Amino acid sequence: MTQAREDAAHGKSAPSVVDTHMLVLDDVSIAFGKRIGLRALSMQVRAGERMAVLGPSGVGKSSLLRAIAGLHPVISGRVLLDGRDITALAPEHRGIVYLQQTPALFPHMSVLDNVAFPLEVRGVSRAESRAQAQALLRRVQLEAFGSRRPTSLSGGQRHRVALARALAAKPRVLLLDEPFAALDPMLRAEVRDDVFALLSEISVSADSGGANDAAQAPPAVLLVTHDIDEAVALTHRVVVLLGDRVAQDDRSVAVLERPASLAVARFLGVPNLVRGVRDTNGVVTSSLGTLMSNGRAGEVWLAFRPDALHARSAERPAIAAAQSLNDAAFVAAEPTCGIVVELLERMSGAMVRIRVGTDLMLAIRDGGAITVNASVDLLVDVARVHVIDEVPRDV
Amino acid sequence: MPKSWRVFALLLLAVVSLTPVLALSVTAFGAAARYPEVWVSSGNGTEFLTLVRSAALWRALLTSVLLAIGTGVLATVFAFVAARTLSHATARARRIGFGAAFLPVIAPPIALGVGVQVLAIRAGLGGTTLGVLAAHVIPATGYLTLFLSGVLLSYDDALEDAARSLGAKPWTVFTRVTLPSLRLPLRQSVALGAMVSWGQLALTLIVGGGIVRSLPVELLSFVQSGDDRLGAAAALLLTIPPALVLGVAQLGARRTGVVT
Repeated sequence: MTQAREDAAHGKSAPSVVDTHMLVLDDVSIAFGKRIGLRALSMQVRAGERMAVLGPSGVGKSSLLRAIAGLHPVISGRVLLDGRDITALAPEHRGIVYLQQTPALFPHMSVLDNVAFPLEVRGVSRAESRAQAQALLRRVQLEAFGSRRPTSLSGGQRHRVALARALAAKPRVLLLDEPFAALDPMLRAEVRDDVFALLSEISVSADSGGANDAAQAPPAVLLVTHDIDEAVALTHRVVVLLGDRVAQDDRSVAVLERPASLAVARFLGVPNLVRGVRDTNGVVTSSLGTLMSNGRAGEVWLAFRPDALHARSAERPAIAAAQSLNDAAFVAAEPTCGIVVELLERMSGAMVRIRVGTDLMLAIRDGGAITVNASVDLLVDVARVHVIDEVPRDV
Repeated sequence: MPKSWRVFALLLLAVVSLTPVLALSVTAFGAAARYPEVWVSSGNGTEFLTLVRSAALWRALLTSVLLAIGTGVLATVFAFVAARTLSHATARARRIGFGAAFLPVIAPPIALGVGVQVLAIRAGLGGTTLGVLAAHVIPATGYLTLFLSGVLLSYDDALEDAARSLGAKPWTVFTRVTLPSLRLPLRQSVALGAMVSWGQLALTLIVGGGIVRSLPVELLSFVQSGDDRLGAAAALLLTIPPALVLGVAQLGARRTGVVT
């Protein structure tokens, strides 16, 4: 599947305004106190592109964003924006807006003055800046709230105002540092959808009219989040930070389906990891059967998502969410036998833990279709199995 | 704690707080109490009126007000810079800084006064209002550094980061974001600094050398002269401004929803 098709399948349009790298990190290292936190990072982001930064707590995701914004020192390397070295530039001169977890609205100003602030500090007249701020408030559906104080707004409204204020600065890059983390789940989904709908709207209007106007080009968006599903759903690319460096930088869906290492797979929570051995002919043998995979001989890991696993029992020929068992090529011609050890009901559907020497997770639509201690035959869709070449020292 | 204990504790606090003021009021406004009479029985406030009409008192009052305002403002400026630095410092540097801020607070005023006097005389400021102002600023800065450090340690730098990220230069951030969002604690700081100066006697006497006559110095003169009623009247006058400042601060806190 091409990237465009994958993105289309996930409701995202790929960037098309400027096909050059807008933001470039070149061998950037960042210190946390006296130690180097992130080492020799290199990555590129295009105009209009949305990129998620994932990583465990404390790895330095926020520090990375703050360093890009000029709010955290870079100890070596370069940050380039549109080819210009901005590493030593003060935050106010970068054209990069950093939105943090809390909206950080100025409590002593009205909502309208908050949104007008970036325009006023750029020398736009008060009348003009307020008119533009009012228009931005209209875009976030808070036109009637201009005279209110930020403290009188709800959490979701504050985030919308913060976004309107950020857009008033016409940023080249928008850095979103867990901007929805403080919201409750329902509000979080609502605000998140609103924010990204507005960003998409800006991209579309830029595509249709202002492609040559740098100030009108849609901003590149870097999103730090702990929510992997959110990252995959909302962005074109995902960067995974592990240890002190980039462990994987790939298209969002590719990161989920083809984790670069066992550590990445574990961090992403890939539930099905099966140990195998590859011989010199590229034949990988595991408890699930054999498959062909080029690479060096030795220990490997088979990683696959719950929906790549199919189960059959005597009573029910096809339990799994698999849409077309007949079309799939399986790891083994003969199914592997497993025992259902746990049934997990979730909002997104039921999951079944099946013991086959190791534990595997299977996604099913109907939790009633299977019972604990039932014996099932398992087949794995070979096309969706990713083989990781790694000696599992960290197991 | 049982309710009866709480009521008793509150009553005790009220008695301890109000008795001196009550005694001062009665003494200031009452007629002379003759031995063995302990308490004045009546009076018309003549002594208080005499005091209020005294030109020396008004001069002392003006000196005290100028010293208090000057001390409040200057000490707040110095303390804000110090507290701001400390709030961004490492834990070790912060401990050292707090210790330094504590020194002028815990040092006996007489010891501090002698030290400052030496410096003031060398600087040609001995016996001048400016010298006394400088002397008052020292302990006030210590108090206010501790007060503002508490405020700034809980102050969220996110506002300033947001402002800079949105394109504001450091000075704009300071004047349009930092100062307005710290308006209330800064006002409280000026008031607190002014009150530190308002009650200063030892420093004013030592550094001012008796030439700078503030209200506490005049009060001391009345007390030393043996006229209790004039002393009480002056003491009452000395008490009113802090009470007013406290009231205004409480009112401001209620209006802004800040719990002090």
